[in-house]
Amino acid sequence: MRRVTLGLALLGGVLIAGFAVAHSAVCTCFDNGDQTVTCEGGFSDGSSATGVSIRVFDAHDKVLSEGKMDGKGTFTFKKPEVDYHVIFDAGQGHVVTIDGGDITE
Amino acid sequence: MTTLDPAVPEGATRARILAAARCATRVGCAVAALAAAGAAQAHFQLLFTPETALTGAQALHFVMVFSHPAHGGPTMQMGAPEAFFVVSQRGDDSEPVKTDLKSSLMPIEWQSKDGPVHAYEASLPRNATRSLGDYVFVFQPAPYLEKQEDKFIQQFAKTVVNVGGVPGNWAEPVGLPTEIVPLDKPYANWTGGVFRGVVLSDGKPVANAELEVEYVNYPLDIDVHRFAADAQVAFPQGSFGTMGIHANDRGEFTVGLARAGWWGVCALNVGPKKEHEGKPLSQDAVIWVQVRDMK
Repeated sequence: MRRVTLGLALLGGVLIAGFAVAHSAVCTCFDNGDQTVTCEGGFSDGSSATGVSIRVFDAHDKVLSEGKMDGKGTFTFKKPEVDYHVIFDAGQGHVVTIDGGDITE
Repeated sequence: MTTLDPAVPEGATRARILAAARCATRVGCAVAALAAAGAAQAHFQLLFTPETALTGAQALHFVMVFSHPAHGGPTMQMGAPEAFFVVSQRGDDSEPVKTDLKSSLMPIEWQSKDGPVHAYEASLPRNATRSLGDYVFVFQPAPYLEKQEDKFIQQFAKTVVNVGGVPGNWAEPVGLPTEIVPLDKPYANWTGGVFRGVVLSDGKPVANAELEVEYVNYPLDIDVHRFAADAQVAFPQGSFGTMGIHANDRGEFTVGLARAGWWGVCALNVGPKKEHEGKPLSQDAVIWVQVRDMK
């Protein structure tokens, strides 16, 4: 669905706006209990999160880790020893921020 | 096209004949009419958990009770279940994954109107739903001997839970001998909407399948293992408690969802196996639908 809509989106900005409200980005992270954290991304229409940018920041907005969601829509990083937050950035209107304090096993 | 099926449930027919035979006095007639109305109730294998649309991972508590949910009973004794599993999938990124949950089943005593009966429950830890997506839970009970009708009933029950609003395999069959495959998400329904599905047997649509629909009229209290004492709705007549409908020639049906809460849909005697231990077997397909008010 998303792929088709993206194709149409090339035709004009109006369709992009329609696309933006048609679904929403979702990201969830969990502590694997082995000093790593895994985040999963997705969209409310089921479309793939593969390739979506994801960054881990400390309290001073310094990047601790960054990458893209893999072929399974997941991203695993070493659990920071400081306060941190995760930003799943699928573009305008599709940014999800998760506080490290909310990431549990 | 829907055809009228002359084969009404055997138990109901038998009860009506008995009722007519007993109808010699006015009091006798009234009692007989009640007995006939009682026979119109439908068996339903409940696979209940309080919330199916989760915002994030959480521990889940299921209860499996074999009862007549529109009337709060009678509730039947359950034998050792044959299977309990979940098939989960998150969006387009993952393949469906089947997880066996049978070892999580624990026997309980359900406090029915007629005394305690054997039922089951399962508690799943939070990390069982830590991934986003759909979780199609399946419960396959032991065939139940309906002594009044001298036949077995086995209901394959499905309850679909979603985490985070990311869809997955809610509209996919899980490969049961018989099952109802949703055309609408069973966990995302407003009061006044409709729920549609397709009845499958051996993976193929069952044309004109006979279905029964019941509202869970006595909410479940899963902590004390009983139904609520009071009904939510008074039925003007037996046809409203157990609503009989038929699928169309493609095996599809539509159910109106008139009230928030839980609705059960059961396709009768649609499974491929027709005999168990030398007696007739009705393999039924059940799906549970959760409905909420817009507020």
